[in-house]
Amino acid sequence: MKYEAPLEHYTANIREAVVGQGEKAIRIGGENTFPFHFFEGSLPDPPGLALEVLDIEPENWVQTLLDPFQEVVSEPVKWAKRCVDVFGAEILCLRLLSTDPMGKDASAKQAAVIAKKVADAIDVPLIVWGTGVEEKDSQVLTEVAQVCSGKNLLLGPALKGNYEEIAKAAMEHGHAIVAQASMDVNLTKELNIALCKFFPPEKIVLDTTSSALGYGLEYTFSIIENIKQIGLIHRDNMMQMPILADFGGECWRTKEAKESKEQGILWEAITGITFLLAGANLLILRHPDTLKLIKEMISEKQ
Amino acid sequence: MILIGENLNVMHKEISQAIKEHDPEPIRKLVVRQTQNGMEYLDLNVGPLTKKPVETMEWIVETVQEFTDLPLCLDTTNPVAMEAGLKICKKKALLNSASGTKESREKMLPLAPKCSAGVVLSVINDAGLPSDADERAASILESLEFTNEIGVPNEDIWIDPVLLPIGVDQRQVSAYLEFIQMIPDLAPGAKSVCGLSNLSYGAPKELKGLLNRTFLVMIGRYGQTSAIVSAFDGELISIKKGEMPEIVNLIYRAMNENDIDLSSLSRKEVEYVKTTQVLMGKSLYSHSWLEV
Amino acid sequence: MALKGAEIIKRLPKTNCKECGCATCFAFAMKLATGGAKLEDCPYLAPEVKAELEAAMAPPIKLVTIGVGENALVIGEEEVMFRHEKTFFHEPGIAILISDTANETDIEKKIKAIQELHFERIGKALKINLLALSFESGDKGKFETLVKKAYQATDFALILICNNMDILFSAATLCADRKPLVYPITKENITLAIPKLKELRTPAGVKGESIEEIVSLASQLKEAGLEEIVLDPGSKNVRDGIRDQTLIRRAALKKGFRPLGYPTITFPCFMYQDKFTEALAASVFITKYAGIVVISQEDKHFLFPLLVQRFNIYSDPRRPMVVEEKIYEINEPNEYSPILISTNYALDFFIVSGAIEEANIPAYLCIKDTGGIGVMAAWTSGKFNGEAIADFLKKYGIEKKVKHRKLIIPGVAKKLKDELEEELPDWEIIFGPVEGSDIPKFLSEERNKYYKSG
Repeated sequence: MKYEAPLEHYTANIREAVVGQGEKAIRIGGENTFPFHFFEGSLPDPPGLALEVLDIEPENWVQTLLDPFQEVVSEPVKWAKRCVDVFGAEILCLRLLSTDPMGKDASAKQAAVIAKKVADAIDVPLIVWGTGVEEKDSQVLTEVAQVCSGKNLLLGPALKGNYEEIAKAAMEHGHAIVAQASMDVNLTKELNIALCKFFPPEKIVLDTTSSALGYGLEYTFSIIENIKQIGLIHRDNMMQMPILADFGGECWRTKEAKESKEQGILWEAITGITFLLAGANLLILRHPDTLKLIKEMISEKQ
Repeated sequence: MILIGENLNVMHKEISQAIKEHDPEPIRKLVVRQTQNGMEYLDLNVGPLTKKPVETMEWIVETVQEFTDLPLCLDTTNPVAMEAGLKICKKKALLNSASGTKESREKMLPLAPKCSAGVVLSVINDAGLPSDADERAASILESLEFTNEIGVPNEDIWIDPVLLPIGVDQRQVSAYLEFIQMIPDLAPGAKSVCGLSNLSYGAPKELKGLLNRTFLVMIGRYGQTSAIVSAFDGELISIKKGEMPEIVNLIYRAMNENDIDLSSLSRKEVEYVKTTQVLMGKSLYSHSWLEV
Repeated sequence: MALKGAEIIKRLPKTNCKECGCATCFAFAMKLATGGAKLEDCPYLAPEVKAELEAAMAPPIKLVTIGVGENALVIGEEEVMFRHEKTFFHEPGIAILISDTANETDIEKKIKAIQELHFERIGKALKINLLALSFESGDKGKFETLVKKAYQATDFALILICNNMDILFSAATLCADRKPLVYPITKENITLAIPKLKELRTPAGVKGESIEEIVSLASQLKEAGLEEIVLDPGSKNVRDGIRDQTLIRRAALKKGFRPLGYPTITFPCFMYQDKFTEALAASVFITKYAGIVVISQEDKHFLFPLLVQRFNIYSDPRRPMVVEEKIYEINEPNEYSPILISTNYALDFFIVSGAIEEANIPAYLCIKDTGGIGVMAAWTSGKFNGEAIADFLKKYGIEKKVKHRKLIIPGVAKKLKDELEEELPDWEIIFGPVEGSDIPKFLSEERNKYYKSG
C-alpha cells in the first residue's frame, strides 16, 4: 500500500487580532489550521506570551516566583519595565487586583491612573485585567479605556453581565476586548453573537477561563480544542476569534508549584504548552523562566 | 404519539405542600386540566419519598385516581414507594423508570412483571450515560435481554434514550436522533419515551416551547411512540392533534434539505426552520440561535 | 471498533433468523460493533464475507503489550483525534533511560531510585512504566549486565535500545519472558531481525528517517506474521514530532491505512540536552498521540508534573473525576473549626478545598460520595439530601471532632437546609456562598462565631 500524507486543508480561518500599536504591536490568530500544523496550513502569527504584573504587592507568593521581581513587586511601573527590559516580554498583562471590592476596593479612577502610568512606561502592548466582579470591572475598565484612549489595549474580562459597557468604551477609545464565558462552548457563542451585534469581531479575544495542571487542565484543553475545531472545520464565524489562556496565577497558587523551583516552573510551562497545543493564541504567565522555556520551544526551526 | 402529562411534579411548591398536608385540591386542579388537554397518561413525579414512602405514594395515587380515569406513570427512585403505587393503580401503569444498572435490575425492574406494569427502560447502565448512539444500542440490547427474561415482552417496554438539554451537550441530542431510528431494528415491538422538557432546560424561557415542539415533530417522524410533555403548551397539543400540518411539513423539509430559502417564509416559519437545523446539529447551539 | 453497526449490517444476511441469539440482524450487528458478539455466532456468513468483516472490524490501531503481568504496558486501540470526541484509551508509557556507559554502582543507584519513586493523585497511583536500556558503551558485556540488573531487580517493562542485532537479541533472550521491546529495527537490519523476531516473539520498535520508511518496515514485519509493532518516524524535534504523530494517527484512523496502524514511540531524551526542555517536549508528546515517551531523568520534580499531565489528558471526558469520600482536615482544624460539606466531584472539591487552603483557615471539609455528580443533581437523586447527609455525618463521627454544632452547606442547595434541620435538630445549618471564590471571605467572617466567648 502506498502512503500518501493525509493532509487536511480548511477553508476557514481564525481572525487576526492586533493589540498595541506601531512597531511593537502584537498580532495573534490568523491561522487556517491547527496549532503547529505548519505542514498543512498557514500560521502567520506566533503565540503571544504575556508576563503578568499586579498593581498591588503580591501576598503569599512563593520565593521562586518573587526572586525574579524582588525589589519591584511593590511598584507596578518598575515591575513592568523589568518584564520588558530584563525578561524580554513582548506583551504584558496588568491585573488590577487593587480594585477587588473584597480587598482594597480601589476606585476606577485610581486604577486607571496606575494603568496609564504602566502603559506610558512601556513600549510593548498591554492587556489590562479586572477582577471578574462584573459591576466593578465595568466601571474600572471603562475608565481605563478612556484614560488610555488610542493605545489599543486588550481589556478584560468582558462578561455576560457587563460586556455592553466595556465593549462600547473599547470601541470609543480604540481598544480590543477579552470575551469570557466559563467552560461552555454554547455560552461562548452566545456572548460573541451578542457582542458582534455592535462590536467588531476582529477585536475580540476569547477566554474560556483556565484551570491549572492537576486542577482541571483537561477541561480547558478540550474546550479550547473544541472551539478551534468549531471555528476551522465547522466554519462557525462566531467561534473564529483567537483564544487566550490566563493561567499563570492558577498554577502558582497550587501547593504543587510551591514544592520546588523545578516543579513550579514545569507546572506552569506544561500547563502553558498544553493550552498552546489545544489552540490558545496568547498565554498569560507569571515566571520569566516559563516564558523563556516556552518561547524557545515554539521558535524551533526545522 | 402518546402524550404523557408531566405537570404533577413535587419540585413545584404547591404540589409538595399539598402532599405534605394531604390537601387534594391543588392535585385535583392539575389532574383535571391535564386530562382535559388531551394527555393520555399522567406522570406522577414524586421524588425519592424518603419519609413514609408507602403511605405518601398511596395517598397520591388514590387522590389522582379520584379525578381521572387516565392510566398513570409513576416516577420515583424509591422501589418501596413504586411498588406500593403500582399495586393500587386501576389501569395498567407505567413504571418510570428502570435502567441497566445492577441496582435497578435488582430492586426496580422486577416490580414491572410483579405488578403487571409497563416499564420505562433507560439506556443508562453502571458505566453511566452512553455517549453516542452505538453505545446506547449496546446498553439497551443487554437490558432488553434481561428484561425479556424476567417476563416483560418488548410491547411493555418503553425505551428511554435519555434526552439531554441542548445547551448542555448538543452531541447527545444528535445521538438521540440517531438512536431513535435504530429502535425498530434493535427491539421490534418496543415503545419509546422521553422527557421532552429536558431538551430545553436552561434555554431562554420564551423559546423553550419552540425547541420542545420542533423536537417532538422530528422524533415523531423517526418513530418515537410517546413523550412526557407539559400539558399546558397549547401549540404542542395543536400539533399533536394534526391542526398544524404546514408547520409539520416545514420541519420535515428542513430535516431533508440543507438550503431552504428563508426569505419566502413567515417569521414563525423561519423560527421552526432554524430550530430544526440547530437540533439536527447543523450549527453550534447558542441561546441566540434564532438571531444568526 | 473500526466498523460501526450500521456498516456491518450491510454485509449480514438480514433474514432475522435469530440463530445468533439476537432478535434481528441489526441487533447482532450492533453487538458485533461493540464486541458483545462474535462473527462465528452467525451460521450464514460466507467465508469471504467473514474474512472481510474480520479485517474491517479489527481496531485501526493495534493493541500492543510490552512486559508482562501487573506492570505490562498496554498501548494502542485509540479511536479519536480529539479526546473530546470520545476519549483517549491507553495512557502512553513513560520510560526512563539508563545508559550502559554508567558504572555498575551508579546503575544500581539509579534503578533503586526509580523503584522508590511513588506518586499519586486523588487516590490513584501514577506510575513510571518502563526502563529503556541503551547500548552506548560498545561493550556487549556491559550491556548484558545492565539488562540483567534491570530484569532481576525490578518488574518494570523493558525497552532494549541497541543498533547491533546480535547484541540486541542476545540481550533480549536474557529477559525474553518479560516481553521486552527491541529497538531499533531499521531498513538496514530488518532482514537480520525478522528471523530473530519470529523466534523470540517479542514486540519490535521500527525506526525510519521518515514516515514512508516505517510504512515499508511495518509492512514487512506484518507479512512475516509479526504484529506487535511500535513506530518511530525519526522525528528530530518537537515540531517534526507533532507533524509525524498527527499524520500517523490520521492515516490509521481516518484513512484506515493499516501499515501505520500501530502505537508510536518518542524520544525527548535524545532530542534535547536541557532537562526542562526535555520535560516540556515529553509533555508535548504525551498530549500528541505518543504511545511511549522516553526521558532521561528520574528527578521527581520533573516526573510528577508529567505524570499528572498524562493523568489529566487521558482521563475520560465522559466520566466525572471523583475524589475519595472522607472528612478532609485542612490547615489543621480543631474542635472550634468550621465544617463544610460538598460532593466528591473532583473539580468542586478542588475549588472548595483550594479556597479554604488559600484562606489559611482551619476547617473540616466533609466530602460525600455522590458518584461524581454535583450538588443539585445529587440532591435530586437522593444522594445528597438531608437523610443521606445525616447518615454520612453519623458514619464519619463528625460530632466527636467538634464542640460546636454548625454545618455549612453549599449555597445552591436551597431545599437542603430544611431537610437537614429536620434530620439534625441539634445542628445549625448555614448556607455557604454560591461561588467558590467567596469562600475565603465567608469563612473569615464565620469562624469568629465559633469561639466561645470568655
